This record gives sequence, C-alpha cells and structure tokens, in this order.
Amino acid sequence: MIDKRNLLVEMDAIEKWYGPTKILDKVDFKVSRGEVVVLIGPSGSGKTTLLRCINHLETVQGGRILVNGKPIGYRITNDKLVEDSERNVALQRRDVGMVFQRFNLFANMTVLRNITIAPKLLRGLTQAEAEAEARTLLARVNLADKENSYPHELSGGQQQRIAIARALAMKPALLLFDEPTSALDPEMVGEVLAVMKDLATSGMTMVVVTHEMGFARQVADRVVVMASGHIIEEGTPEEVFENPQHPKTQALLNSVLH
Amino acid sequence: MHFDWPYFWHQLLTPGDKFLTGLGLTVSMALCAEIIGLVLGLVIAQMRLSRPRPLRAFASLYIWAIRGTPLLVQIVFIYTGLAAAGIMRFRDFTLFDITVSGSVQAGIIALGLHEAAYMAEIFRSGIQAVDRGQFEAAKAIGMPPSMMMRYVVLPQALRVVLLPIGNQFNILLKNTTLVSVIGVSEMMLVTETINSATFRTFELYSVLGLYFLMLTSLWTLFMRWAEKRLELSSRGTATR
Repeated sequence: MIDKRNLLVEMDAIEKWYGPTKILDKVDFKVSRGEVVVLIGPSGSGKTTLLRCINHLETVQGGRILVNGKPIGYRITNDKLVEDSERNVALQRRDVGMVFQRFNLFANMTVLRNITIAPKLLRGLTQAEAEAEARTLLARVNLADKENSYPHELSGGQQQRIAIARALAMKPALLLFDEPTSALDPEMVGEVLAVMKDLATSGMTMVVVTHEMGFARQVADRVVVMASGHIIEEGTPEEVFENPQHPKTQALLNSVLH
Repeated sequence: MHFDWPYFWHQLLTPGDKFLTGLGLTVSMALCAEIIGLVLGLVIAQMRLSRPRPLRAFASLYIWAIRGTPLLVQIVFIYTGLAAAGIMRFRDFTLFDITVSGSVQAGIIALGLHEAAYMAEIFRSGIQAVDRGQFEAAKAIGMPPSMMMRYVVLPQALRVVLLPIGNQFNILLKNTTLVSVIGVSEMMLVTETINSATFRTFELYSVLGLYFLMLTSLWTLFMRWAEKRLELSSRGTATR
C-alpha cells in the first residue's frame, strides 16, 4: 500500500525518553506524498511528541527520521546519530510547515508581515511578490480584511487561520498540525477545520494530531492510533472507527464519541 | 558653617572650560562604554544561551569575574596593571583632529567590559521572558537562530530589557567618576584639581553633584519618553 518512492516522511524505530520515562518506543511511522494522516490517542500517548520529531522540535535518542529522503536533525557519522547544526536543520524546516495549538503568531508583527517575512527572508521573494502571495492566502482563509491587524487583536480562530496561511506561504511539502483546534472556543473550531478540509482536498500532505474525530473520519486517508508510546492501530477511518481492533482504541473511541 | 554662595553660583552657572571639557568627557565616555556594553553584552548573552558548552562556560566565567570584582580594581588593572606587566600599553591616538588619550581609551574599555557583564544578564532575562511558542514558530518556519533573534525574539525582548538597561546606564554615568584614578580629566578629576587650588570643597562638590543630578535626570526623562514610544509601537506584544 505504501509506495516507497512517494514517501515524504519515514520514521524508523524512533525512541524518545524524558529522563527515565519512555515517550516513544521504537515507533515506525510513514507518510506518503498527498496523504492526510490523523494521529489520535489519549493524552500522554506520544502523538504530539511524534509530530514534533518530524521537524526536529524534539530530539530523539534512537532511530532514523527521513523527510523528503534526507535525515532531519541528525547526520549519521560512523553509524552514530550526531545532532546537526541549527542552521542545517533550519534549511530543512523550510519545507515542513507547522501549525501549533497556541497559534504562535509573531506577536511583534502585523498579520501581513507574519505571512511575508519568511518567504522574503528565506525564499528570496520581493516585498511585492510576498505581499501578493500573502493576500491570496488571506483571501483563501477568509481574512482578507485583517492584514494590518496585530495577532492580539484577533480571535483564536482568526489567529489559527492566519497561522495556517503563514505556514502555506513557504509552500511546504508537508504541513504538521499539533492539536490546531484544542485551544479554541467551540464556536471557532469549525472555521479552522473548514480551512484544513479545503487544504486536504487540494492535495496537501498533512499530519494532524487532533481530538476532532469528525474531522478524522471525514478527511483522513489514514488514522493512526497511539497509546503509551506505541502505534497500536492504523487504517482507513472506516476500519478504525467502525471496527476497532485494539481494546485501547475501543476505549478511546467510546470515551470521545459518547 | 560657611558657604560661599557667590562662588557656588559662579561655578554652577559659569563653569570653566576645563570643567565643561570634563563634562563632555564624562558623557562621551559613558556613551562609548554603553555601546561596547550593549554589543558585547548581547554577544555574551547569546553565548550563555547557546548550545556549545565552552561558549556557555566562558560567558558564565566572564559574568562571574566582572560582577564579582570592583570596577575601580578593573580600571586600574586594565590601564596600569596591563602596562606594568608589559602586556598592553594604551597610547594616545588621533583621528582627524580629535586626540584620544591612552587613559581615556582604557577607561572606556574598562567601563564597557564592566557594563557588558550586566547587560549580558539583562539580555538573557529578556530573551528568556519571550514566550517559548515564539521561538518554536520561528524555528518551525525555517529561520536560522540569528534571524529568529533579530526579527522575532529581540524585538519582543526589548520591552522587557528597556527599563533595566536604562537603570544600568544611569549607574554607568555615575561610575565614570572612577576613571579619575587613572588620570582622566572628567568632571570628578577637574573638580579635585580646582579644589586643591581653592579648598572650596563643599561648594565645588555641591556643584559636581548637581551636574550629575542634571545628567541622570535628563536620562530619566529620555527613558520615560522611550518607554512611552515603545508602549505605543508594540501594543500587545506582551510576553505570555
């Protein structure tokens, strides 16, 4: 089912410890180009940590992570993992966008500058090019009128949609979402999910950590269930939601769906 | 008690050329030292927050040594001590038509190195006060560390560090009097010289104190203005 040539993320036997606590226990995780993968699991299961390893916001103690066929965060020298310089990691992160639970828009910049700064500095776009691109993206997330606002002047849902636009402006090969709706008031969840659905439909490769089962069911190509640092089950939304195999998956679904 | 009012007013309102030159020297030395302190302090703060252990260790050692020894000792050490050991002798140099004497250079460097240790700690606390999410967002979008600092972190840290930096400069202004010991004719030494000829100690040092009070008050007014401006230009960038 997985086409080797089309793999965008390849994680093999990832091990991650916080002190004496094992967070990820030899996890294998792969994402193909164009795929929408939704990671679910109880809190503390390691799903957010796994996501953050993909762009090396977390270090790992063992295993191998390839993004676009290249190791990220580490070089392999004499068969040992050596942490790469921040500068090299930064180069690879340009192609991996990330949307955070708490939005993390640059607080000292207007909406427009939030979106244009990275393409200008890192992709070499001119001010005019970056602004034109940003306005297209703002229209896409329905916030064309907010370009001169500062983040604190916007609602959570608006901030998160801007955050998605900011990530898209770098034209990433892959977008990571870390519980993008968990910090939102309920009435704002829908507007953010709508933007994400639109992205999924357009063929963007996405890895989404979420508790929104409805979103997972509708949008995911594949649902991955994690518990205590392991992937315990994965499959199409139908397989996982209609016919869960692992007792922990059944328990999780019972707790969120009922 | 005898207080020679006419002499006091004369010195206060029509100070001699020497005193005015000393005033200029005080201010320009403080400004030069502050620039050194800001630049070097930022570098040391970055080292202290960086990953490589030797850099962190050097930064900690620097801050520990400078903050743990008296400025007066540092000044004499740098000007007289280094020369006596044959390591470094500060010589006068002339740029265009301004001659900067060796002792003034040594004084600026000593004050600057001293200031840097305090600035480093101020910058470090300011950087650490910026929300972690801001760092992560900058990293995730692909900014290398230098770019993240310049465009995202430092502009937000500025709010936090402005007030302590202002306070530190206030202290620096007053600390310039210490370089009188290596023979720099700033306001303090000029006053001492006049005093040794006139013995109007009370009057002269009252005038000196008032001149410093004027400098620090002007500085306080400037800081108030700067704070207001920053407040207006960066509403809402409060750190979480």
